[in-house]
Amino acid sequence: MSSPRIQDLESQPWAGRTRRYDIIKEGTIALLVVTLLTIAASMFFGSPDEKQLTFKSWAVTAPADFYQTAAHEIAGSSESAGYGAPYNSASDGVNVGPLHLAKIFGVSHPVNSVNDFVVTPLSTQVNTPEVSAALKTWNVSDLKMQQGWASKYDDALTKANGDQAKIPAGALADFGPVPAMIGGLLTMAQSGSLDAVLLSQGNYFQFDNTKQTLFMGDGNYFNDQSTASHLQGDTWGMMNETGRYPGQAWLWLYSFWYQIPPFNNGDQHPFGANADAYIMVIMGLLSAGLVFMPFIPGIRSLPRRIPIHRLIWKQYYKQENL
Amino acid sequence: MGIFGHFMNFKAVYLHWGWLQISVTNLLIILSMVAIFLLALTLPFPQDKENQK
Repeated sequence: MSSPRIQDLESQPWAGRTRRYDIIKEGTIALLVVTLLTIAASMFFGSPDEKQLTFKSWAVTAPADFYQTAAHEIAGSSESAGYGAPYNSASDGVNVGPLHLAKIFGVSHPVNSVNDFVVTPLSTQVNTPEVSAALKTWNVSDLKMQQGWASKYDDALTKANGDQAKIPAGALADFGPVPAMIGGLLTMAQSGSLDAVLLSQGNYFQFDNTKQTLFMGDGNYFNDQSTASHLQGDTWGMMNETGRYPGQAWLWLYSFWYQIPPFNNGDQHPFGANADAYIMVIMGLLSAGLVFMPFIPGIRSLPRRIPIHRLIWKQYYKQENL
Repeated sequence: MGIFGHFMNFKAVYLHWGWLQISVTNLLIILSMVAIFLLALTLPFPQDKENQK
């Protein structure tokens, strides 16, 4: 609460000097200057021109990584397959204490990694006889059988560090049609058709790249590119841009929390594993503090205690002997 | 692409101090913002100069 004297001062009409001020004129000049600066900056610096990452470039550049990621997808062991809401119900998702934020809003954007990333794309193609037969076997089998094949193959491939040649030939019978399906998907990706098929699994006008981002994000190729461009969260990536372009410097505080304990402790710590949710809450509270600053005792008195405004209007305070 | 577009798409230079990591470009932008703020604090208003006459 303000003291009675300050309340009295605040309720009185302004008795000091006034001068004319044309805010429309000033706004127009500011808009014009910023527009000219923007045009000049775009003429001189252009915009980031990073080469697009595609499934074709992934499958051609890092076929083993693509193959193993596809095996994770069909087995449901990928990161996106176990993410939880809003994509699936495989887990409770990130939490703040007892509050599971994403789960509260439910599965609003369903993604089935087996069908969306493997089976449906393969079904749109004219495949080789081997892949067609494998797909037919998969489609007529029950869920338990499908999961058994896919999990066994995923485990075997992981043990062999992604190298199919190291998987004992005698074990192939345990994997059913899965190796042929993954091989078909790799061929499809290398030809470039997987990019188009994944993009077309939606509306007529397709601007939703969620599925592509999830699939690509499950592999190492996408992550390696992000690391090389300093775009990972643990290297202030939120603030950065590709090349030498400036990034979102105003997100420094948001990005800052990811660099310090307990939020930088990865998945080993409850705070690290749920850093996104905790940091969102912290930033929400800080933003609310900024919005409601005039109502927070102590904070709202800072301009009086640290009178920076007197520096800006120093001439006025000098003339008025204030 | 821009006149300096080719140069801007080169690999960026990053500075490290412990857990702090920042690109030279971001550092320049932040220093420019601080400099503009300090100028706004210290430079007199054009109107003030007229009043002084």
